[in-house]
Amino acid sequence: MDQSYDRQNPAFYAVIALLVFMSVGPVLLMFVNSFKLDVDIIGGTTGLIFLPTIQNYETALCDVLWYEPDHLDFCSLKFGGAFINSLIIALVSTALTLVIGCMAAYALVRFRFMGRDTVSLTTLMVRMVPPAVLLVPVFGLWNNEFCLDRDGLIGGAIRDTFGGRGDVCLAGTHTGIILVYVAMNLPFVIWILQSFIVQVPRSLEEAARVDGAGPFQVFFLVVLPLIKPGLAAAAIFTFRIAWNEYLLASALSDRNTKTVPILIVNNMSEFNVEWGVIMATGMLLAIPPIIFTLFASRQIITGMTAGAVKG
Amino acid sequence: MLKILKNTALSLSAAALMASTALAGGHGGPYDEYAGTTLIVNFPAHPHYDAVMKILPEFTKETGIEVEVDQLPYLKMRERQTLELAQDEGEYDLIAYVVFSKADYVYADQLENLAKYFMNPKLADPSYDADDLIDGYVYNIGFAGGGKGYLEGKTGSLFGIPYGSETSILGYRTDIFEKHGLEVPETYDEMLEIACKIPELEPGMGGVASRAASGHHASHAFLLHLAPLGGRVFDDAWNPIVNNEAGVAAANALKTIVDCGPEGATNFGFGEALGAFLNGDTAMFLDTTVVAGQINDPSKSQVVGKVDWALHPMGTRRGSQTGGFGIGIPSNAENKEAAFLLMQWLTSKKGDKLVALAGGNPSRFSTHADADVNAKFPHMATFGEALKHADPDWRPIIPVWGKINADLGTTLSKVLTEDLDIQEALDGVAERTKAVMEEAGYYTWQ
Amino acid sequence: MADATLTSSPNARTARRRRTERLNRLTPYLFLGPAAVIMAIALLYPLGYMVWGSFRDWDPSQTIGEAEFVGLKNYITLWGDPNFRESLGVTLRFAFFVVTFEMVIGVGLALLLDRNIRGMSMLRTMFILPMMIAPVVVGLMWRYMYHPTVGTFNRTLESLGLPSVDWLGQHALMSVIIADIWQWTPFIFILALAALQSLPRSALEAARIDGATAWQQIWYIKLPLMMPVLIVTGLLRLIDAFKVLEVILVMTEGGPGLSTEILALRISRTATEFRELGVAAAMSNYLLLLLLALTLGMFAFTRWQEARAAKVRMAAEEDS
Repeated sequence: MDQSYDRQNPAFYAVIALLVFMSVGPVLLMFVNSFKLDVDIIGGTTGLIFLPTIQNYETALCDVLWYEPDHLDFCSLKFGGAFINSLIIALVSTALTLVIGCMAAYALVRFRFMGRDTVSLTTLMVRMVPPAVLLVPVFGLWNNEFCLDRDGLIGGAIRDTFGGRGDVCLAGTHTGIILVYVAMNLPFVIWILQSFIVQVPRSLEEAARVDGAGPFQVFFLVVLPLIKPGLAAAAIFTFRIAWNEYLLASALSDRNTKTVPILIVNNMSEFNVEWGVIMATGMLLAIPPIIFTLFASRQIITGMTAGAVKG
Repeated sequence: MLKILKNTALSLSAAALMASTALAGGHGGPYDEYAGTTLIVNFPAHPHYDAVMKILPEFTKETGIEVEVDQLPYLKMRERQTLELAQDEGEYDLIAYVVFSKADYVYADQLENLAKYFMNPKLADPSYDADDLIDGYVYNIGFAGGGKGYLEGKTGSLFGIPYGSETSILGYRTDIFEKHGLEVPETYDEMLEIACKIPELEPGMGGVASRAASGHHASHAFLLHLAPLGGRVFDDAWNPIVNNEAGVAAANALKTIVDCGPEGATNFGFGEALGAFLNGDTAMFLDTTVVAGQINDPSKSQVVGKVDWALHPMGTRRGSQTGGFGIGIPSNAENKEAAFLLMQWLTSKKGDKLVALAGGNPSRFSTHADADVNAKFPHMATFGEALKHADPDWRPIIPVWGKINADLGTTLSKVLTEDLDIQEALDGVAERTKAVMEEAGYYTWQ
Repeated sequence: MADATLTSSPNARTARRRRTERLNRLTPYLFLGPAAVIMAIALLYPLGYMVWGSFRDWDPSQTIGEAEFVGLKNYITLWGDPNFRESLGVTLRFAFFVVTFEMVIGVGLALLLDRNIRGMSMLRTMFILPMMIAPVVVGLMWRYMYHPTVGTFNRTLESLGLPSVDWLGQHALMSVIIADIWQWTPFIFILALAALQSLPRSALEAARIDGATAWQQIWYIKLPLMMPVLIVTGLLRLIDAFKVLEVILVMTEGGPGLSTEILALRISRTATEFRELGVAAAMSNYLLLLLLALTLGMFAFTRWQEARAAKVRMAAEEDS
């Protein structure tokens, strides 16, 4: 990129300022409101003149705070627990998707396993499946079919170790949710990574093989380091979906495996809409994506272009 | 091996607890056997149950039984229960259920009949005084198998106990009514007239805040007017009569209320309607008694001290809603006896008073008349009066109701937003309802 | 490793080579295996299960085996159900408006901002933000801003002395579309910008030398050259538009009436609220068929594009 910039009309900068305001404004608004009391939010003290309070965050995080906030009689929002669930589910499913997806993409590119057309067609078809379509079957299977008998060997062992009642089913476990997310994200990841692996020069791998490296060594020691940018992009996208997803998680989780989006939707209970607390939880949920955006926007853009243009 | 270890640990801690209760003055009371048990209960996210959360520590202190609460919004709660109750072994020991779930759960044999617990001398508290529980609610929420299958009757029996009972009541702004010399409405005509006068008298203010959003909100608001205006959803032979004169009148009343209501009223759920009233956007509020606790909470309300309560206005008869929740023990629960003890404690005279003082809705006559409760919540007397007019048959509680309710709610929302003709819309509902009932076998004997 | 090969006997060496060869032949399967297994268990089997379930009268408290087989009844009921049709209509309208507006605005912005200015990367970062935030959070932000009395929009209108708008009431579909445009226009913008910046400079130079105005450059050179990318982008967005659910769920729950009840939302409501899994499965199948048609169309189009591009390239090579 050359360092000399074109001078532009002031009106042009005004347009840009407006655009930035439009795209960031709602997020800022949420940020500001999360520091207001409900009375201030509803009561009409617009603008920035208000007494900021962290009370909403205290309410949200009451189960992980070391002290008991004065304004609470009991801790109803188990945000801390949900946050940890979200983290476990998002991180594990991202890691699994990447490893498995990477291997599959490599096999598809290097071994001419199937025609490229077949692969891209399947990837595309799978990519079009909306989560809502998976709701019914996944709900049925995870709750009723994918179960271990409680009296069986493994099922019994699980019940003895972890407690709980009834047959051991995938529903209500972290594993169950992770499995769906991995399956949902794999096609996209395979697709993105393919386009990066194609660019790895074959000669490098051949050289490694001449030195006596097996296929797995070639893959992990030679290919993987070369496609780091692609991995980063794929990781961000997978994480984002696993972190933000609501519908399937809400059908599969129980009280111990609730994720943050479920908590937020549940908390918009109809009996009293506590805007302040909701905005605070929303803000907390949005923090990881915001961090990614600020520090890895280049990878995100690479991933988007690779995922779309070649799709 | 692990199990043995765990059991020993459990009994050890139980023994420790027993010792401590004994020290505290008990002597082998009814709770000793269950001290140390952890009950998992499923409650809705609802003001009454928020109050329950405040008194649960008291129960644990007294009995040594731990309670872990899974609080969910009530539609979610129902979804969760559908799933849990269908398992061979469920997670929940005690559940709160909405009135209309009663039909489903009892029909599918998923709730324990309470007779065997009340017969057990080790469990049943002789001073429980079941006659003090408000009749209408017991029949509405806890009883099944009587008249029409869901009302009071000789063939019925008890499957749950009302807890968090609500009825409808009219809240009004005393300052506004005084300022313009308005009379508190006694009848529907008066209420509708004042509702539409308010926007003229106080620009920017709506008449009545009401739910109206698509789905169960709109249907609830409609049924709220249907009973006092003399209507019913079904006649005695299960024929839908929702489209008769009273039905049209009720829909008209709802439409008038929404038209003269605050801005955006067509999309109000309960939370928004309440929010509008709390924010001072409307002069009246006609809905459940559950809101009373929030009106005078300055962190939520702008109308502290400016609200008074009156009975649900009369149409051709008095008939306020019966709603709220009951608590029952799932058939697949693990700790049924301990769950019964919790249930009995919560609905006892003492528990009922505690929860009322914490801002909940009491279910006993004595609590409504209690001096302490009335001193803290002066509206309690009016509420007690309203309960006498509560109509247990204001909506049918049959297994197919969910489907009919959804249809009714969607159609009414269309009436409110798309100006559908009311008679035509209700005819459509009646026709579809007839088909649903036919399929469910309600006309087998005709 | 190399040492080992040298010191081992010839016999062992051949055995070893054979083993490596077998491993080599197995490698693709080993690499593909985990992905294939997971997709089969958690994607393909469920889809098959759903098709099977769609022929049954299935309640969430039953296992599928207990549910009664009813043949095509669910499909037929749905076809005659005015609510389903309305919901289908809402879905199609939503997808159409969303994609159209986002394409026009996104490409327009890309053309406008395709300049060499300071802070461009910062700007792009700002634009990505809405896409990255959870749909649930986007929904609640907009629900707040659209709130009839408390919301930002109506307050602003009020302070300007304008009449307030019943955003999520009478104009619910429009409001939902606006929220989606806010969230996803940046997607189109970024892709269009990338496409613009990879256009061959020579063509643009030539046009400028020939004295083409800015509009002519856009209309006759930039847009046609970007077209393949734009069409693929648009189709991707279209497919994604059918997946939208959380934003609408949080903002309106499908109301008022059915005015914002898109199919995905109706499926989830049928399954959880009306407790009719069979009908929900049949509805899912209708939606899948619709999307399948779209995807195949898109795929055929890209193939056709590539073939045409190859032909053009061949022709160009023959010319030179």
